[in-house]
Amino acid sequence: MLSLWQAIRRVGRVAEPAPAGPAGPAPAAAGELAGSVQVRHVDAGSCNGCEVEIGAAFGPVYDAERYGARLVASPRHADALLVTGVVTRNMAEPLRRTYEAVAEPKAVVAVGDCARNCGVFAGAYGVVGAVADVVPVDAEVVGCPPRPETIVAALRLLTGR
Amino acid sequence: MVAAGLLGAVAGVVAMTGTAWSVALPGLLPLTGLEFDVDPLSGVFLAVGGAVAVAAGIFAVGATRHGLDRPGVQAALPAFIGSLLLVPAAGSIGTLLWCWELMALTSLVLVVAEHRERPAVASAGLWYAVMTHVGFVAIMVGMLVAAGPAEDGSFVAVRAGAADLSPAAASLAFLVCLAGFGSKAGMVPLHPWLPRAHPEAPSHVSALMSAAMVNLGVYGVVRVGIDLLGGGPSWWWVTVLVLGAVSAVYGILQAAVGSDLKRLLGYSTTENMGLVLVAVGACGMFAAGGDRALAGLALTAALLHLMTHAAFKTVLFLSAGSVLHATGSRDLDALGGLRSRMPVTTAAFGVGALSASALPPGAAFVSEWLLLQALIHGLPAPGVVPAVVLPLGVAAIALTAGLAVATFVKAFGIGFLGRPRSGAAAAATESGPAMLAGIGLAALACVALAVGPTVVLPTLADIAGGLVHAAPAVTGTVAIELVGVTGVLSPLLLVAASAVGTASVVGGVRLLARRRDRRRARLWDCGAGPLSARMEYTATSFAEPLQRVFDGVLASEQDVDVSHHRESRYLVAAVSYRRALPDRVERRLYTPLLHAMTTWGRVGRGLATGSVHRYLGYGFVTLCGLLALLVVTR
Repeated sequence: MLSLWQAIRRVGRVAEPAPAGPAGPAPAAAGELAGSVQVRHVDAGSCNGCEVEIGAAFGPVYDAERYGARLVASPRHADALLVTGVVTRNMAEPLRRTYEAVAEPKAVVAVGDCARNCGVFAGAYGVVGAVADVVPVDAEVVGCPPRPETIVAALRLLTGR
Repeated sequence: MVAAGLLGAVAGVVAMTGTAWSVALPGLLPLTGLEFDVDPLSGVFLAVGGAVAVAAGIFAVGATRHGLDRPGVQAALPAFIGSLLLVPAAGSIGTLLWCWELMALTSLVLVVAEHRERPAVASAGLWYAVMTHVGFVAIMVGMLVAAGPAEDGSFVAVRAGAADLSPAAASLAFLVCLAGFGSKAGMVPLHPWLPRAHPEAPSHVSALMSAAMVNLGVYGVVRVGIDLLGGGPSWWWVTVLVLGAVSAVYGILQAAVGSDLKRLLGYSTTENMGLVLVAVGACGMFAAGGDRALAGLALTAALLHLMTHAAFKTVLFLSAGSVLHATGSRDLDALGGLRSRMPVTTAAFGVGALSASALPPGAAFVSEWLLLQALIHGLPAPGVVPAVVLPLGVAAIALTAGLAVATFVKAFGIGFLGRPRSGAAAAATESGPAMLAGIGLAALACVALAVGPTVVLPTLADIAGGLVHAAPAVTGTVAIELVGVTGVLSPLLLVAASAVGTASVVGGVRLLARRRDRRRARLWDCGAGPLSARMEYTATSFAEPLQRVFDGVLASEQDVDVSHHRESRYLVAAVSYRRALPDRVERRLYTPLLHAMTTWGRVGRGLATGSVHRYLGYGFVTLCGLLALLVVTR
């Protein structure tokens, strides 16, 4: 038992060196959220490409949770929204209501090219517009679909870690 | 009606305090005459019946004003109340049977009052008529056997003659009387009429039947078994106890899964009468075993439970009547949202439901506590049968109490709170002042019994002690103190403590919530359309887990029909789901019985062909047979 304790003390902490802090301008709400951000994901009309990448971003390889971001199941529990896809006609009102349901202070991250500027679906008959046309957006993630690293980088802007 | 009820209640209270009186009217009826003899035990039932009649009578005034009552009902109701009050006052077998039959007939008229509106009423009336008359025959036979050695039919003579009765004859008399009186009390398996007839009658009649009339079944068992036959062997009372426990559990189980408000209350009556029979059975068992103190305690519990049951069942049935008047529905799945539209009825039903669930500030808690005390303190009793029956009785009471809470949470929560599930419930209006006065009076009685059972308990203990020849089992003015066994309970303190506890929790939460900044936001509904009443729990869905747990007992019948599109079997056109919870006892016991009766009748019809010659032949053959029999036997 004693030798085990000695081995533990001898080896010490084994981990990668902490990466450099997030680069770029932090959204307004980031300061008040103090490093812990509960995230609600809203699919406003995505092709599910972004969903796969978000899944990867919160998976064991990219592990966004180590930076303080966590997916939750209701906007009532959330600090931030992760919106993917163009905003379709059917999802415009639910998106607005979801935004209203999030407690202050809150932030919105538009994930993927569709969410930023409608991408390839621009001008389609069922599309209301980009996410910024429906709710105020604080951060954007580029890509179709975006790489998990970029999603994690955007979330790090919110958590500040 | 109110005056008659008041008179009955006053007479009962006077009799309870020990002033016995008797009236003999030998010329009024041929053969038997009428003989009334009110002793303290009669007094309890007179007082309870009279009090229920007062509340129901005031409610009936309002019901009549709204045109709910026909002239037939208005004529039969006073006669029913009169006979209801005369049954416990009867002092001889003939008088008891006469009043009993009058009560049965008048209540039958009241049950079938609304037969033009609903076809179910006729069927309920048929069930009630047949079962109540079979019960009457049983009581008659039993009482005649019991009166065999007596000089005449008066209770005094029967009591004196009971010692000369052979044990077999006494047992026969008791069992047959138990069947007759038990069917009136809704004892399983003689209960099927009760959940049919009680809901179909007008609501104030339901209240009278369910809160006052069923009590007389228990009165009969106590009067015949404990008073007239003087106790009897232990196995009589084990039978009563077991039947009572089965009734209690089965009744509340059916109530817990039902969704018809008045039918649910009817099954709850079976449950409560079951509990009273458990207490009566325990009393007889202890008395037969020589433990007089515990016998007195058990009988005191029975009498107090009769009283509390009468109070809360009156409130519940009258409130259900008020809801039925306002919405035209007694289906819990179509009610809801009545709190804001019918505040007084809702509050009264809440008081009744709290009392019925036997939780601490409620009225039934005290009586069930007394009963449990009696059963638990009886555990060291010698013999194998008590050692098996008493713990099972305690378990049955515990299960019953738990299921009763679920039942009344459902009845109150689904029926009155939430959002209205139908247009009728959304447009409900509060009933008139007379109806509300009747309900309020009964609710006051509930509260009074919850706060101050000690006002009536010593008197009840005196009466019970007098019947089993023991000292009163309960004393105390503020706290209930048991005599002979250790046990103290202060209902007043309990009520005060729960009131203070509730107030402090509610006040604390309010205080905490006031400090924070508030933002008014839309209720989160997943972003989709507004929440609708269809998303609420219904009575059926609330009871579904219970129904699943007890499926082995209830044996529900479920049916899922899936129809497909013609083009492809992979496309579903419609799914229909049906669920029925038939009364299993009725299905297993009465259906074969009725079937056998029908077959018997059909066979008998073959004998009657309509030919006069054949009928003359039957007479001739019978006469010859009789003569041959006489020749052989003499």
